[in-house]
Amino acid sequence: MRKLLGLTLLLAALCLPASSQAAAQRIVALTPFAANTLARLGVTPVGIGQTLGGAERFLPQLQGVPTLPLSHPNGPNLEQLAALDPDLVFSSRTWAKGNQAMEELGIDVVVHDPRSVDGAFADTFKIGTLVGRKHYARDLLQGMRRRVEAAERGIERRPKVMLILGVGRTPFTFLPNSWGGDVVSRAGGRLLTGGVSSSSGFERISDEVVVAENPDVIIAVPHANEDDIPSLTEYLRTNPAWSSTNAARNGRVYVSVDNSLLQAGTDVASTIRKVRRAYLKN
Amino acid sequence: MARRGLVFAALLAALAVATAASLALGAVKVPLGTVLDVLLGKGASATDTQIVEVLRLPRTVEALAVGAALGVAGAILQGALGNPLASPDVIGVTGGAGFGAILIIIVLPGSIALLPLTALAFGLLAAALVFGFAWSGRNRGSVGKVVLAGIAVLSLFTAGTTGLLAAFPERAPSAIFFIAGGLTSSGWRDLETVWPYFAAGFVCVLFLIRPLDRLALGDDVAASLGSRPQLIRLGAGVAAALLAAASAAIAGLLGFLGLVVPHVVRMAGGSSSQTFVVPASALGGAALLAGADTLARTLRAPIEMPVGPFMVILGVPLFLWLLRRAV
Repeated sequence: MRKLLGLTLLLAALCLPASSQAAAQRIVALTPFAANTLARLGVTPVGIGQTLGGAERFLPQLQGVPTLPLSHPNGPNLEQLAALDPDLVFSSRTWAKGNQAMEELGIDVVVHDPRSVDGAFADTFKIGTLVGRKHYARDLLQGMRRRVEAAERGIERRPKVMLILGVGRTPFTFLPNSWGGDVVSRAGGRLLTGGVSSSSGFERISDEVVVAENPDVIIAVPHANEDDIPSLTEYLRTNPAWSSTNAARNGRVYVSVDNSLLQAGTDVASTIRKVRRAYLKN
Repeated sequence: MARRGLVFAALLAALAVATAASLALGAVKVPLGTVLDVLLGKGASATDTQIVEVLRLPRTVEALAVGAALGVAGAILQGALGNPLASPDVIGVTGGAGFGAILIIIVLPGSIALLPLTALAFGLLAAALVFGFAWSGRNRGSVGKVVLAGIAVLSLFTAGTTGLLAAFPERAPSAIFFIAGGLTSSGWRDLETVWPYFAAGFVCVLFLIRPLDRLALGDDVAASLGSRPQLIRLGAGVAAALLAAASAAIAGLLGFLGLVVPHVVRMAGGSSSQTFVVPASALGGAALLAGADTLARTLRAPIEMPVGPFMVILGVPLFLWLLRRAV
């Protein structure tokens, strides 16, 4: 009888991870962060969101997974999403209107789109817990922390950095409570903000403040294509408003067309390294 | 006559105050004495010089030029079409310029340096389409045909703009300031591109003032006095298109100014004579836009906001007050 009971308990224990995962088998990840986190945890989503500039950031494990084109503010097309029959969708605040519509379809929607590196750590663990991979998530998290600490080591200079979003004559400035702002700060940059704070993480700041605060480096994240980098760099470098800044005078105006500074990814350490190597040179 | 003189004096005073405020106020505090030193070419720190010479002075001049141009464009269109609702929107210029600018911002961001020229070109193209349709077929050049063709072309370009924004939603935030109307601190770069169009538009207007006064008496009377009503309307449309397209290229979509300012000066001055309305609209438009832009960049400084809403906040109460008195 004892042997039978022991065998039953053993079988139940062996089945536990599988049954936890079965609770949310069909997962759609709309952000690169959630999609890559799931892939690193060994979970393959049934669909992933396709954001502008986000395609190249997906891990190889996600090749072949159906993609859902996303649009503001609705997110995915609801018919395409429903066709994937998901139990759970990892979404973002960006698709706020769509999130509500997805819930009305009876799909569980969880928002995980971190705006800081610490937020990315916390959300990695939360996603792992939600899909029944807590232990894997803990290991993944330890590795991420270790790599980020290594990427932050040995900073020799802390240049003043203006990080801007958008093209045109009225770009918005990244604030510390944005993903890009936090990454640049961790890479050793002192973010130019004009003392402004905003819940959105972005604001249009006066060029007078830019002149007065005199950034050493200007990095633009313009939602553009790789081919546009030279002309955009030239346009920003020759902007008369910024001509007196150290960044313009020393040719340290850069354009980044991927969305690694715009939206959280699991490749945090490599993003920090890239910012240090390519832009801050510290 | 005395009333018109008073209105002119008040507009000049408002213009002086708005210009001084635009030069003196900003996100960074520069003492008034230093501002004057920079403007007079005396010594000042490199930062203060850059702020006053490269940021505030060109922006103030842009505000004055755009405000004056839109005020004048609205005045001559309302006079030429005999329609109180006429504005640069009606001849399609605003819609065309908006489409051109959004095309660059959304689809061709790498060509951002071409934004003013593209907005200008599409604004003029829209006006050309309106005049082309209005001056073809029966009733060539009639007011009804101009207005209807204008509304149709405006709808066409507005639909194109909306389509672009919907197709590239991630890039839409870059277009907000252009759509809402906003001046920028880009030195003299934009003015260097569009000043010939401003100049051509203002010169055309100088020759149209008296013919427009004759047109106000009615087409038949104007014709009996030797004027050609359709030609005057076409000339006014071309001049307004040049002024409004050049304005949109610099400051985005600010159609409200061209609609309201001529009405305000007409009601305040008690005269519809173009010899009064055109220069008064130029002064009023310039003062309104310079004042609104100063508010837009100082009220939540160092955050900058689009100027369009501020212009409406400043202009509408005065307009409604005058409208109530007039009725």
